[in-house]
Amino acid sequence: MKRSYVGVLLLCLVVLMNIIFTQYAVNFFYAQKYINVILLSLGNVGLFPIAWLIYKKEKNQGGVR
Amino acid sequence: MEDNNKRVTVREQDDNYTHNIVRLNERSLDRRGFMKTMVGAAGLFAISTLPWGGLAAKQLFAKEENPFPKKKIADVATLAKGEAMEFHYPSEHESALIIRVGENEYKAYQNACTHLKCPVFWGKEEKELLCPCHHGKFDVMTGKPVAGPPRRPLPEITVQVENGVIYATGVKPYEA
Repeated sequence: MKRSYVGVLLLCLVVLMNIIFTQYAVNFFYAQKYINVILLSLGNVGLFPIAWLIYKKEKNQGGVR
Repeated sequence: MEDNNKRVTVREQDDNYTHNIVRLNERSLDRRGFMKTMVGAAGLFAISTLPWGGLAAKQLFAKEENPFPKKKIADVATLAKGEAMEFHYPSEHESALIIRVGENEYKAYQNACTHLKCPVFWGKEEKELLCPCHHGKFDVMTGKPVAGPPRRPLPEITVQVENGVIYATGVKPYEA
């Protein structure tokens, strides 16, 4: 069986971005840069559908079919 | 044990090289399961940052009014030159320190050390703000750390003197 790890890598990247966004959002909140906080939390929300699309596209990749 | 060695007949369309997996939980975290977990994690991150965004928006829209009350610290007469006094500002749970550095010059800081929140004290002889926990030192004129583990300045409280009474009027925002 040949596996495709593209989806795995892309999703790892998405979650890494999530971690970075969350960290910066919390830091910017305490630095009172509220616009950045809002942008980052919207970015975090936007990453979820991206992750879901990657999953949908990749779940059957590299299978036998 | 016997079961594991039994040959399984599989329909052609189901023959995806996984029918021979018979051990329990062998496929509990396969490629697809891992991807599912990652998508779930992304969703969790998305939800967990929403409160921060909400709080930030709230702060942004409520910015017009000055959030800090004007509060009396002490009478000028009770604080000699070179002396320091503890007070609480803006709330009762945030301790602060005012130092009379000159005849008409006052410096006030929230005195939770920016390292691990130990209280910072005024070293009268050394003319330094000292955190005894890990020997962090701060410059009294700027609040910037000069020695020890702290890396960020103490938050400065703006001070106003009116008719012989010292008032605290606000906390300066932290600038990175």
